[in-house]
Amino acid sequence: MVIEHPMSELPHLLLVDDERSIREPLAQYLTKQGFRVTQAGDAEGARARMAAYAIDLVILDIMMPGEDGLSLCRHIRETGDIPVILLTARSEETDRIVGLEMGADDYVVKPFSPRELAARVKVILRRAAAGGARQHAPDSGSFAFAGWVLKTGERALVDRDGVSVPLSTGEYNLLHALVTRPRAVLTRDQLLDLTQGREAAAFDRAIDNQVSRLRKKIETDPKNPDIIKTVWGGGYTLAAEVTRL
Amino acid sequence: MNLRRFLPKSLTGQIGLLVALALFVAQAINFGLMLNERRGARFGQVIVPSVTRLIDANERLANPLPVDPVDDDRPRRQRRDFDQRTRVQLSNTQPIPGGQPRRPDIEDAIERGLVDGGLDPLQVLAVVRPIDDRRPFLRKMSPQRADRLRRLGAELHVAVQLRDGRWLSLQTGWPRSEMVVIWQLLIQTGILYIVVLIPVLLATRRIAKPLRNLAAAARSFVPGENAEPVEEHGPSDVRSVIAAYNGLSKRVTAMLDEKDRMLGAIGHDLRTPLAALRVRIESVEDDEDRGRMADTIDEMNRTLDDILSLARLGRPSEPPTDVDLSALIDAVVEDFRDLDMPVQFEEAPRLTMRIRTGLMRRAVRNLIENAVKYGQSAEVTLVPESENALIAVADRGPGIPPDQIEAVFDPFTRLETSRNRGTGGIGLGLALARAIVRDAGGDIVLANREGGGLIATIRLPR
Repeated sequence: MVIEHPMSELPHLLLVDDERSIREPLAQYLTKQGFRVTQAGDAEGARARMAAYAIDLVILDIMMPGEDGLSLCRHIRETGDIPVILLTARSEETDRIVGLEMGADDYVVKPFSPRELAARVKVILRRAAAGGARQHAPDSGSFAFAGWVLKTGERALVDRDGVSVPLSTGEYNLLHALVTRPRAVLTRDQLLDLTQGREAAAFDRAIDNQVSRLRKKIETDPKNPDIIKTVWGGGYTLAAEVTRL
Repeated sequence: MNLRRFLPKSLTGQIGLLVALALFVAQAINFGLMLNERRGARFGQVIVPSVTRLIDANERLANPLPVDPVDDDRPRRQRRDFDQRTRVQLSNTQPIPGGQPRRPDIEDAIERGLVDGGLDPLQVLAVVRPIDDRRPFLRKMSPQRADRLRRLGAELHVAVQLRDGRWLSLQTGWPRSEMVVIWQLLIQTGILYIVVLIPVLLATRRIAKPLRNLAAAARSFVPGENAEPVEEHGPSDVRSVIAAYNGLSKRVTAMLDEKDRMLGAIGHDLRTPLAALRVRIESVEDDEDRGRMADTIDEMNRTLDDILSLARLGRPSEPPTDVDLSALIDAVVEDFRDLDMPVQFEEAPRLTMRIRTGLMRRAVRNLIENAVKYGQSAEVTLVPESENALIAVADRGPGIPPDQIEAVFDPFTRLETSRNRGTGGIGLGLALARAIVRDAGGDIVLANREGGGLIATIRLPR
């Protein structure tokens, strides 16, 4: 991919990680992918660079000596709308949940695939550009719809009786995409695009297949779906009221 | 027959029984001594006067004196066969009615007394019989005497055959003292039991109760959970045991905390270079090469995860929640199918269980991963039984030699001979799966299938 834009028009990422062995090659990779990347080794450096440049997105390591990533994330959220992606060394849920509550837009668990990170950066930037001013972290917290609750922190779907119904990664991504855009008609291509940022796995599965599996789990009558409806010639839409919890 | 079974096992019971036995033995000795003393006293009270009376009567009846002028102020019916003063009867025949048990001990004592007194009898007969209230002679005698006899409860009837063949006989009150003594003993023992046993039982309970609490605390001890220390009470020895236990549990918890911190540090230190490596391999041009490298890094990372989870399993951070087990298996299987792995799952009806979702997902995933790795495919079934849920993961691989089925559960075991794998690694998956399932109260059983292959069954209590 050849970048023809001048530097100033490229999306400007701030990469904050105390580990040089990760930060430098990652910055190199992201630069190749068409981003302008500024690096910082700690929270203090990050604050200075955010003051100096117009940053479009921050990639932030949680575990850092001194002020940690979560605290910096809270500061970023309090002072502006810059999207944040967290890098976490621990795969424990508490970190993810706290991170998302702090207002992070997404997270990746180390060791992560740089491609996946780049894909997520693109999705978030596109979303930020489309939505204009950022109102809230659209994919964090819990969503209630048609008697179900989708908890993003735990990646769990819970029914009326509080029994959780585990979802596969593909199913979760698809449902997440639908629930965060209620009543919008999403084409198969859009759905593929929205779910691919999560896991490469979803590439190869037909969206239709995933939808029918999801319907089996959440619809009262999967043959006559009330929640995930098919739009003729279009794609799919979530036809239920969604409440953010 | 094993009597030991009936002995009390608790501290209170054993000490109580021991003290009760000791008291009883002491009382029995006491009783024996008392009986002996009573017997001596009875000799003094009954036998000596009887002997005196007999000797006296013998002299008077054998040599009847003319009427003593000094005594003659009372009118007296003088009888040749009855000595009025000693109330001893003289008869030609044996005066004691037959059919009554003789008392050789009394007979001997009386005979010895008579011989000592210069009277050498042919034979001595003695019987003790209970006082019968209806006997007419009680009415004939003075009320005080009758009363005394009744109170004593028995009378002694002695007959002595003299050298000339005639018989001297007398009757006198005989204290039936055994009953009285036994009653006294029983009451005494009862009082002793109350006075001694109750404080002993209270004291041992005071020791036993904190010990029981300590045992309960030790049994329910969950390593790493900051449990309340056991309250120290009871005697100082017991207190010091409890204090030692509290210290021990605190040290165990501290050690586990230390282990957790160390594992966290190890995890971080290993993941960072792995993450750096994962970023760097993006510059590898060859897609296939890069893919393999990424797989290797993923596998190393999973192993690292397994090691950390296995090490931390005793104190999982994830609370159990209500989960549809069928959907859980379906989700795990679907993740494998998304990666184009041949895993089949026969859809099962909804089955709600209370488990730690993340850990159980990992246990099921590890079993399927093994099946796919060694058997190239996996068939998963969920069978809800009345008390258990059975999750079976079957493959058509080479199976495991029967003598090594247990060995594969040991961490870091891999059966190089029958199962080989391309990517390398260690046999941690099964150990972790089993540890997770056991933590949930179930177990994993491996068995070779008929027609080849292995079947791993997770049994979870419902």
